[in-house]
Amino acid sequence: MVNPVLLIAVPLGLSFTLPLFGLISKRIEKYVPIVALVFNLVVSFMLIPEVTKRPINVFIGGFQPPFCINLVVGPVGILFSALIALVGLLASIYALDYIREGAKQLYHMLYLLLLTGATGVVLTGDIFNLFVFFEILCISSYALVGYLGDKAGIESAVKYLIQGTIGSSLMLIGVGLLYGLFGTLNMADIASNIDKVSSISIFVPLVLLITGLGVEAAIFPLNAWLPDAHSSAPSSISAILSGIAIKVGIYAVARVIFTIFGASSILHFLVLLGLVTLLIGEISAFCQNNIKRLLAYSSIGQIGLIVFALGMGISNGVVGSLFQLISHALSKALLFLTVGYMIYRSGSMEISKLEGMGKRMPLTSLAFTIGAFSLVGLPPFIGFPSKFLIIRAALSKQEVLFTVLIALVLLGTVIEGAYFFRVVQVLYFKGNHNNLKREEAPVPALIPIVILMVLIVIVGVYPKPVTTMLNSASSELLNRIEYIRSVLG
Amino acid sequence: MSVLNNYVYYGGAFGLIFIGIYIVLVKRNLIKVIIGLSILDTGINLFLISLGYISKGTAPIFSKIDMEIARMVDPVPQALVLTAIVIGVAVLALALTLAIRLYHHYGTLNLRKIKDQRW
Repeated sequence: MVNPVLLIAVPLGLSFTLPLFGLISKRIEKYVPIVALVFNLVVSFMLIPEVTKRPINVFIGGFQPPFCINLVVGPVGILFSALIALVGLLASIYALDYIREGAKQLYHMLYLLLLTGATGVVLTGDIFNLFVFFEILCISSYALVGYLGDKAGIESAVKYLIQGTIGSSLMLIGVGLLYGLFGTLNMADIASNIDKVSSISIFVPLVLLITGLGVEAAIFPLNAWLPDAHSSAPSSISAILSGIAIKVGIYAVARVIFTIFGASSILHFLVLLGLVTLLIGEISAFCQNNIKRLLAYSSIGQIGLIVFALGMGISNGVVGSLFQLISHALSKALLFLTVGYMIYRSGSMEISKLEGMGKRMPLTSLAFTIGAFSLVGLPPFIGFPSKFLIIRAALSKQEVLFTVLIALVLLGTVIEGAYFFRVVQVLYFKGNHNNLKREEAPVPALIPIVILMVLIVIVGVYPKPVTTMLNSASSELLNRIEYIRSVLG
Repeated sequence: MSVLNNYVYYGGAFGLIFIGIYIVLVKRNLIKVIIGLSILDTGINLFLISLGYISKGTAPIFSKIDMEIARMVDPVPQALVLTAIVIGVAVLALALTLAIRLYHHYGTLNLRKIKDQRW
């Protein structure tokens, strides 16, 4: 058996030894993230059969829980770590050619640190450790947003930094209050004792934690940083921020609500927040003329859908939510990666400047179309089964309220369709297409784009293996007794 | 008075936290906002330390046989604060770096005047 600690240790170690590789040869630096993420991907997939039988617990430092820092590698953790490694790997292959200016060595170091932080958050079983990994993720993403050092990038990075820091400070206060109440930082130990204190005194830490994590998860009133940060970062980073960073925030919110607090009473509030986030995101996306801002707002909308489905609090809903999370990670990563070279070729982020791309970059435009159709939820792409599962779960609740809410969600999807089809129309049917030369994106960029395209279609046609995995993941999230037992023995 | 003695640290800590949040929300100058974030950080660190603090306590090391366990200070919050300080320094350094770059681009640190990006 491979020790799951390596999932965190290898990328962390490689990110700090990366300058040493740079001493040997400047050319091999950029391959280091690929090596680390291939390793993570392989290890994650090797662990899947074992983890689905029973979660693996790793105790660091040789103490027993609740006194040690522990890693809980359950179905949810391994699912997320595989997703992080997959999307991270594809974006790092893309970056081989895409990142040409600036301090490239620092880019690759920060990139690996970002993914280390994300992997750490999803695997850890200790709430303070979760905070630390979250900060690793956040600080490296602040720096990467401002990587190009241009006007927009720096301004967005400052905004992101201020909001993100306040969020993580609130989260740290919440962690401190929990420690004061329970005298432990182990999530399973807190969860097993949570019923012993009055609900008023756990309400404040719950609110602080959800608010703090909600900043990174971009839940509605806390997401003002997202459109700026995602649109002014380099495209490979936008893909990671949209595909991974906000998903990790969602994971942390879900873990706090379901596992630690078992707070089923605030789920309706979560449903409402999700719906508002969805509608506001989609309507704002509809008004955009800048393609990257459009994609960023669409991420907000999709996050809303994921939160909405999580808030239903039933097994089907959580499966749908996690499936939507995977589908959004793949589709949005694909969209940002394709858009990166489209902007590079057309020299502008305006949607109207993308005219004729269908002829200039046929494969990239096809990939964009597939990604867009998948996000809208057309079959046979991955977005269809995920949205279908969410709608089925909402209808299975058999409450009038949820029928009305799901109708509003579908309205959001219609808006989403409207703006994505508009972009696809510009790509293929607008403007004069004569005298256009074919100038496809370079091969290192096409490899991840094609892989993502194939994955989106394959999982869309044959979702069975993914849903089996998601079923065990959702039961881990919803069954907190089992989680506590698996950690504390 | 003993009640006051027990809670004075919490009062101070949350006072600093609210002062920090107030500065971040109200001030227009980016440097002042960063100072606010720093005060917020300090407040949280003080809060974490006071969770495990015992007046005239000793370090939790069994160096003598007759040491009382009840008088020992809880070491976990101190470890947390050590980590939180390091994180705070990293954020502060990054924020100041970005402030310098922002000033190069805009020639001002007034956040009300820097609004190229908006919804």
